[in-house]
Amino acid sequence: MDQSEIDALLNTGANKPAGKSKKAKETPSEPPAVAPKPAETKADRDGQVISEIDAVTAVTERETNKVMDQLDLISQLIAKQQDLVTRVMEQPDAQTEGVKQALHEIMTSGKTIQDKVYEAMDLMQFQDITRQKLERIVFHLRQIHDYIIELLGTGLKSEGERANISRTIAQTGTTPDEKRTHADSVVEEFKRSQQKG
Amino acid sequence: MKILIVDDSSTMRRIIINTLSRIGYSDVIEAEHGKAGLEKLGQGGVEMIITDWNMPEMDGLEFVTVVRGSNPSIPILMVTTNAAKEDIVAALQAGVNNYVVKPFTPDTLKEKIESLLG
Repeated sequence: MDQSEIDALLNTGANKPAGKSKKAKETPSEPPAVAPKPAETKADRDGQVISEIDAVTAVTERETNKVMDQLDLISQLIAKQQDLVTRVMEQPDAQTEGVKQALHEIMTSGKTIQDKVYEAMDLMQFQDITRQKLERIVFHLRQIHDYIIELLGTGLKSEGERANISRTIAQTGTTPDEKRTHADSVVEEFKRSQQKG
Repeated sequence: MKILIVDDSSTMRRIIINTLSRIGYSDVIEAEHGKAGLEKLGQGGVEMIITDWNMPEMDGLEFVTVVRGSNPSIPILMVTTNAAKEDIVAALQAGVNNYVVKPFTPDTLKEKIESLLG
């Protein structure tokens, strides 16, 4: 989250203290310039929390893509380096045993770096998993928010339809392939039952 | 081999595209949700679909059901966080050919794709 987004969040009033301001204390007899804001309700706060979680999710996705961009760039640079080393290997001057060995080691370490870059890219799946877990939390918050709005008979209910969310986050894995055996066994069982039927 | 990826997460689409590229599939088109996926599919040439489940506009289950209404043979792989047995069964009943739970390893995705393409 950059500074402008932090400022925007602060300006929504979500983080302002509930008490009177210092200025108001110094001039108690002065009439307010604008009508006083109605007291913040729990529903208002729930609405702000939902917006903040949405903002955090959007920022996380954007920043994850920036990391992916950098990893892509590293990957391209390594590919370029590998290409250069291959060309050097073909040169007559590079045929001595020591040079050949050194170039081979450069190629091997380049391949290791490339593999690590791919591994890092794959680990970025955490962003989508976390996003969906947060959406589940937002879903429950919105239900509470709308319930309070209904009870009070005032305020606005949550806007429009959102992404269909996972019915449960409890079974979502965090380690790659953690649920593979389980999913494969369900698929196999289903296919067997289809064949029998 | 043109592959359609349907996922509302741009990060996840990139990860899948990277994995596909590493295993030799670079002709890939993307869609953010089921509705957009149907539009892309309508443009023709798609030979395999990799779809998420939880998406706005049209979720993966509805998307698969609609696709199967007009295209019973195209291979469909669902890649989702939904890991409950009833979810997997529902997806298979809707017409997906195989199922991968996120997070996955590239080897798993590769294996599933290759088994679907036979």
